[in-house]
Amino acid sequence: MDKVPTICPYCGCGCGLYLHVEEGNIIGVSPIRHHPVNKGTLCVKGWNSFEFIQHPERLKYPLIKENDTFRKASWDEAIKYVANQLTDIKKKYSPDSIGVMSSAKCTNEENYLMMKFARAVIGTNNIDHCARLCHSSTVGGLAVAFGSGAMTNSINEIADAKVLFVIGSNTTEQHPMIGMHMLDAVDKGATLIVADPRRTQISEFAQIHLRQKCGTDVVLLNSMMNVIINEGLVDIPFIKRRTENFDAFERVVKKYPPEIAAKITGVPAQDIKKAARIYATEKRAMLFYSMGITQHITGVDNVRSCANLCMLTAHIGQPMTGLNPLRGQNNVQGACDMGALPDVYSGYQEVSEPSSRRKFERTWRRKLPSKPGLTLTEMFDSVLKGQMKAMYIMGENPVISDPDSSHVTEALKKLEFLVVQDIFMSDTAEFADVVLPAVSFAEKDGTFTNTERRVQKIRKAIRPMYGSMPDWRIISEISKEMGYDMGYRATHEIMEEIALLTPLYRGILHHRLDDNFGLQWPCSDPDNPGTPFLHRKKFAKGLGTFIPVDYIPPAENISKKFPFVLTTGRMYFHYHTGTMCRRTSTLEREYPECYAEINPEDADSLGIKHNSMIKVSSRRGTITVRAYVTDKVSKGTIFIPFHYKEEAVNLLTNPAVDPSAKIPEYKVCAVRIESV
Amino acid sequence: MGSIYMESLILAKSNLSYWLRQLRKEMALIGPLKGENNDIVFKTVENIHEIILDCPALIPSPKEFIFPQKEDMFRFSKDKVENLRNDKKRLIFGVRSCDISAIILFDRFYGEKFVDDYYMSRRNNTVFISIGCNNPDPTCFCIGLGSGPFLSLGFDIQFSDLGDRYLVEIGSTNGMDIVKKFIHLFSQPKKSDYDDQYEAMLSSQARFEKRINLENARQKILFEKVDDSFWEGVAKRCFECGGCVYECPLCTCFNVIDRKYSETEGIRIREWDTCMFRGFTKMAGNIWPADKKVMRTKRWYFHKLIYYPEQFGKFGCVGCGRCTITCPGRIDMATIAYRLKVGENERKAD
Amino acid sequence: MKERLTDLYLPSKAKVIDVVDMTSDVKLFKVMPEKTFKYKPGQFLMVSLWGEGEVPISIASTYGVREEIELCIKRVGPVTSAIHSLKSGDDIGIRGPFGNGFSVNRAKNRDILFVGGGIGIAPLRSLINEVLKNKKDFKKIELVYGSRTPSDILFMDDINLWQKKGVNVILTVDRKDRGWRGNAGIVTEHIGKSRVSFKNAHAFVCGPQVMINAVMRDLSSRGTPEGNIIMTLEAHMKCGVGKCGHCYADGKYICTDGPVFSYKEIKQFNLNGV
Ligand SMILES: Cc1cc2nc3c(=O)[nH]c(=O)nc-3n(C[C@H](O)[C@H](O)[C@H](O)COP(=O)(O)OP(=O)(O)OC[C@H]3O[C@@H](n4cnc5c(N)ncnc54)[C@H](O)[C@@H]3O)c2cc1C
Ligand code: SF4
Ligand code: SF4
Ligand code: SF4
Ligand code: FES
Repeated sequence: MDKVPTICPYCGCGCGLYLHVEEGNIIGVSPIRHHPVNKGTLCVKGWNSFEFIQHPERLKYPLIKENDTFRKASWDEAIKYVANQLTDIKKKYSPDSIGVMSSAKCTNEENYLMMKFARAVIGTNNIDHCARLCHSSTVGGLAVAFGSGAMTNSINEIADAKVLFVIGSNTTEQHPMIGMHMLDAVDKGATLIVADPRRTQISEFAQIHLRQKCGTDVVLLNSMMNVIINEGLVDIPFIKRRTENFDAFERVVKKYPPEIAAKITGVPAQDIKKAARIYATEKRAMLFYSMGITQHITGVDNVRSCANLCMLTAHIGQPMTGLNPLRGQNNVQGACDMGALPDVYSGYQEVSEPSSRRKFERTWRRKLPSKPGLTLTEMFDSVLKGQMKAMYIMGENPVISDPDSSHVTEALKKLEFLVVQDIFMSDTAEFADVVLPAVSFAEKDGTFTNTERRVQKIRKAIRPMYGSMPDWRIISEISKEMGYDMGYRATHEIMEEIALLTPLYRGILHHRLDDNFGLQWPCSDPDNPGTPFLHRKKFAKGLGTFIPVDYIPPAENISKKFPFVLTTGRMYFHYHTGTMCRRTSTLEREYPECYAEINPEDADSLGIKHNSMIKVSSRRGTITVRAYVTDKVSKGTIFIPFHYKEEAVNLLTNPAVDPSAKIPEYKVCAVRIESV
Repeated sequence: MGSIYMESLILAKSNLSYWLRQLRKEMALIGPLKGENNDIVFKTVENIHEIILDCPALIPSPKEFIFPQKEDMFRFSKDKVENLRNDKKRLIFGVRSCDISAIILFDRFYGEKFVDDYYMSRRNNTVFISIGCNNPDPTCFCIGLGSGPFLSLGFDIQFSDLGDRYLVEIGSTNGMDIVKKFIHLFSQPKKSDYDDQYEAMLSSQARFEKRINLENARQKILFEKVDDSFWEGVAKRCFECGGCVYECPLCTCFNVIDRKYSETEGIRIREWDTCMFRGFTKMAGNIWPADKKVMRTKRWYFHKLIYYPEQFGKFGCVGCGRCTITCPGRIDMATIAYRLKVGENERKAD
Repeated sequence: MKERLTDLYLPSKAKVIDVVDMTSDVKLFKVMPEKTFKYKPGQFLMVSLWGEGEVPISIASTYGVREEIELCIKRVGPVTSAIHSLKSGDDIGIRGPFGNGFSVNRAKNRDILFVGGGIGIAPLRSLINEVLKNKKDFKKIELVYGSRTPSDILFMDDINLWQKKGVNVILTVDRKDRGWRGNAGIVTEHIGKSRVSFKNAHAFVCGPQVMINAVMRDLSSRGTPEGNIIMTLEAHMKCGVGKCGHCYADGKYICTDGPVFSYKEIKQFNLNGV
């Protein structure tokens, strides 16, 4: 009986847990008592994270599709086949006719390798991952404002904050252990302000709950800043010393007095003022946001508004004071850090910047492309336009997770060649020409970076199940077959290379991560203890930049024909497309089928009973789900989680994207409801 | 388990490793070892000198050895069913008195009426050596329940740390079995040894930070009718993580799951389950008898505070303090019992 | 020290020897257990289908009548659907019998009223046949049985037989169809038609929870003593032997303390929130 310390594979909190191993069997988990994030607790997913690992439906051997059915293949054959196909397509068309999707579920080392593979072996910058769908607006928005798109503070600081302003984050359900720290803060007397259209669990602890209409966050935030400026609560020395472009910003904000904002957002002007005053006047104020801010066509604008608010009040650059985007997946922060993005290498070094490109070219001994590649959403468009011919998808399931799924499936069908690497037969894998069985977090070594930039080690607890192989090995094998021998013997060697090339990770090496629960980047050298909070004396980019933001309404408005706003999201018991949690009996039992939360008043007027079936249609499709009547959602709005392939809500969602971050608007689309 | 037995001996600390090393030849030895950073966890002991002798009640509770989080029950194929009941010999060293108090109740729960053979088989083949607590943790409150810090009966073997030696009290035939063969390592206790043990006990008792009387809480619920709004306030903070049940050495519930490996082969397993989940009581046809969180919160407290005493004459809590550590909502037994007593609705920031 | 342990959770084999379609979603399974056992009306078996799971099912047959056991199963979810796909000759696993079962001793020399709804007729059938074995011990015997539609009425052959043996049967349906001449409406609307003397009668009630609740209240208002109103409760069950905790409600395990309870007990223990 052994207990192997590792990191939870679900959300970005990055809780520490032990996997209990007996004779090669995983028989349980328990929380790490002194872990700075979870401190001896876990959420229900963490507690049940052992069950899917040894599920009999795990992919057991490589599969090659022949005459529309899969057949078993040896690793040798599969690797050769993939390598040959990719080489051929690269030759026949161009490197840019191939797209690569990396994964926020995989380790830093694997994401790094995947991006090296795309850039050095294939020769394209067409690499992206699901951060596009959750926090690309953060990465873009904060890069311009601060120079770094990550949580500025540590989770451990939350409990000692004085004001918590949570906007667009259902924290207790989506980042449960961060929610725990928030409740602790409230218990210690902190003021909690929640801005969320839904009545979430965390909102019940709020002194002020602002229920803005979906998609009006810019107005709400601008108007709070309007109050702050008008009432002279601005930190003028800070703005002078550390920021730029204040005047242009001020002009725009002036257009949003609370009385006007009240009309657009539906939040009483009084509440906006109150929230603004509390936030501006307290010293230790932390702002948190998540998908409610980012998943809009105005995602980047929303993020910028949050950044503006922090700079305006100087709530940044100190402990317990800052701007904190809560990243979703266990390693979405890491996947971004590693440059699994079309425009940057690891550590956000731009591909178009000759000096950084040269650095990578020299180490990798290959000429690298300079033009930024396509984003995930653009890749599918490119396939349909006939430009992209092949894709290599690692650990992602775009059929369920991407907006307007019929568009995605159409694209996948059109591809000449598709490789999918996953642990279960996903809906996306069904379309593949080759399916490669990878391993779960319990069967490999590596690192995850959680939402507070903490790089933590995951440890191999059991041997790879059946005939599966760790992702990093699969990538190196394909690469070798394509004539580029990466030559790593273990994951710590990959980390060494990452440290060499990535200033943010320079001091992060595996042997340093064993004690004290990892290191928080930036970590400038092998003696640096890491950085608990960012932008201390100056912003990462020097001066912080105010960016004026005007309100743009959601892409799709309600109409006579589609009179309801549909907003989508995750729910506590499930995770994303459900490949893991829906194979976990406790989690699956709790919410075995898709449902739609609908306000009692709306339900009454449509004659819909609790637990009865309803049909929800948008301009793009129709699904049938069970009605869950609750005042969690406000009148005129319905909420549907996106975990269910049987009733995939992304058949309905609007693929309209933010112009710069290309993040789709999952949070607002217009729908019609009928009872069946 | 085995039947009751009573004898006391002295074991010099310098003899402990030798004894454990000999025992390890016959059975798996599990004990408290260093985990990640300052953590201490139960693991198979590789190096006997690494055993940590003075540690608080560990997370998770040692119920994991007799009622594991996931247990294979039997394997089935077309024409054969193979029972996978575990009967490996094990010695679990270094559990705490509260854990033993819990196991005593477990033995009754799983052993009465229908005998749960998966539990009993593990239990019969496991010997627990508990160590009386000289240094209770800030979260411990066994003292108010008589379930610690030292026990006078019910254990297999209880150690009391007397500085350079242990007073070894043997409470079951299973316990005696592992002493008997090595009796030459032990000596007879003197009166002063018992005096020292008594002193250790007194000083331990003085160190408890939490004094919680669950009887007050029970009376309050039974006779003063606690308002539902109180329970609503508790339930509101629940994250539905299940941790309180998973961690609690006295929570017994499980789920049964079939796993198919092929059309004809598979395995039936059981797994810890918790009444904190709405699906725990769901019935066919979309009937969710406990859809409201407050019903489940109440159920947990009522079971432990009202029905356990009715059924077993003991509370369904031994005061180990694990739920205090593991509840993200801070609505653990100690906190709620305290709130019931003082009758305020919000948790004191302590 | 070794105690001999019995395999509490290991199902024993039974062979399906006949499957009868009863309605669109109910089938009657006749199964022959490898080892025969004694059972009482109102007791249930834990029925396993390898790889699919295990569910509690009441025994619909009466001990001593025939060797095989009859299970009347409604298709409502994954396990029951899988069971529905079985044919004669297939194997299933069974454990049991579990539960306290009905006791008719106290009803001797009195009127008996059976009230059933839907699939709830299954355990009642076992009991009715048991009672009819010693019919002279009881006074009036009546059955009020409600179904969704006329084609959902189960055990029509048995019902005819019972009528011949002197049981007064009142049938009712929620929704009539063309051929139906009988009663319509829920069972409580028709209990009044019964000729039993409510004040002394013993009532046995099985059916969906809402029906049970309504019937209990109705009978109680007609003066039937609460201790004489007997019903079976349903609960999510995983073990059947008082260990898994799923069926636990306010201090009682439905599987071992029940599933048969009187209205009095239900009130006393505050079971199922009545
Ligand atoms: C004492 C007793 C006797 C019963 N007798 C019969 C009978 O004679 N005929 C019949 O058709 N049905 C009977 N039932 C109900 C039957 O057990 C459920 O319909 C069945 O468990 C549903 O399983 P499922 O997997 O098909 O459905 P699902 O809805 O998927 O159920 C999933 C799981 O939930 C549990 N569960 C769901 N509903 C129930 C329930 N009502 N009772 C217990 N567990 C449940 C089961 O463990 C099941 O595996 C009885 C139930 C009890 C408690
Ligand atoms: S909070 Fe997130 S990281 Fe922690 S246990 Fe839950 S899912 Fe895992
Ligand atoms: S209720 Fe809490 S303190 Fe009591 S025994 Fe269980 S885990 Fe320990
Ligand atoms: S540990 Fe706390 S939060 Fe988790 S289920 Fe129990 S009471 Fe709820
Ligand atoms: S069914 Fe398991 S306790 Fe009743």
